[in-house]
Amino acid sequence: MGEAYTPVETGLGTEESFLSLADILMSQERLPCRAEIKLPRLATVLGKAATASASSDNALPEGSKLEIPLWLAKGLYDNKRRILSVELPKIYKESWRTVLSADANVVDLHKLGPYYYGFGSQLLNFDSPENTELAQTILQTFIGRFRRIMDSSQNAFNEDTSVLVARLDELERALFQAGQKGLNDFQCWEKGQASQITASSLIQNYKKRKFSDLDS
Amino acid sequence: MDPAEAEFLAEQELVTIIPNFSMDRIYLIGGDLGPFNPGLPVDVPLWLAINLKQRQKCRLIPPEWMDVEKLEQIRDQERKEDTFTPMPSPFYMELTKLLLNYAVDNIPKADEIRTLVKDTWDTRIAKLRLSADSFVRQQEAHARLDNLTLMEINTTGAFLTQALDHMYKLRTNLQPGESAQSQDF
Repeated sequence: MGEAYTPVETGLGTEESFLSLADILMSQERLPCRAEIKLPRLATVLGKAATASASSDNALPEGSKLEIPLWLAKGLYDNKRRILSVELPKIYKESWRTVLSADANVVDLHKLGPYYYGFGSQLLNFDSPENTELAQTILQTFIGRFRRIMDSSQNAFNEDTSVLVARLDELERALFQAGQKGLNDFQCWEKGQASQITASSLIQNYKKRKFSDLDS
Repeated sequence: MDPAEAEFLAEQELVTIIPNFSMDRIYLIGGDLGPFNPGLPVDVPLWLAINLKQRQKCRLIPPEWMDVEKLEQIRDQERKEDTFTPMPSPFYMELTKLLLNYAVDNIPKADEIRTLVKDTWDTRIAKLRLSADSFVRQQEAHARLDNLTLMEINTTGAFLTQALDHMYKLRTNLQPGESAQSQDF
């Protein structure tokens, strides 16, 4: 069933792809910001500082710190009209960039990400002075971790791969799956299982659904 | 592409059989075959050879390269060189598997051949991983892999192209000016 189903892939550039579910999930991630102007009637929605603001129009005061989703930050950000100023999250800051350039393999990108590459690429939209270093670090991180992803995905056959996968970011997981599929397909062919006719996963799921209907 | 599809292409390769029946020349879309005479060698595509073998209508002659000494040479050569060496057949893996599965009684020292081919395959795949790694590290944009066979490309191809695709996008992020310009049109 996997073959006939082709979901929209992630954009991974400075623009995400509109219909990609992974990109929508990625852009939900919070981004630290500071409001540069007063935002009227938005204190209850945006700020945890809502209780503090006793002003009549329920406004979010200028200079308040916010944690807003990437999509909203991107929508409000403009380098002419200063509504927001965006800060880099800590894993994209200099200290973590140094850690990643020392050895990218030891970092748990799932815990820090889980959309490290996608989110990082999106951050380039905010014209930070560190953009060049940021993009360079993201690229170098990928290059540094490539060998390990390749080796583990191409060698671990019929094993529980959850330990290997646990530290990979979402993009790397997809890559790992692609490598595993190539290996598994080849091993199946070599053992002569490719020529055997098996029930389609569609049929198997259909049967399962019938049983669950009986239960209820 | 599935390995089974690579196998499908490999089945077009010609092999020599010794039939035990007689039949006139047959005219197939992909070329004419035969005539078939008992005891006389004739070249047919692998798919037909396997079919006839399963119906016990022929004996298969192993290809010239499917020989312990030659395969040992190939394996040693492969280990010595940094790049990929030419293989005796573009479908050496598929031919070995099919011939050893269906006509193991016609191939001398079948087990040794199986081991040698598997060793060669493992060497080449390890080499492929090594070169892919250095390719990515040096951020190259193109490479030449003349002597890789279809099956080898196929097992790591999807992974490699996907990784390079990601790398390309991450690298173009470094030049923000260009993408911004194209948005204006």
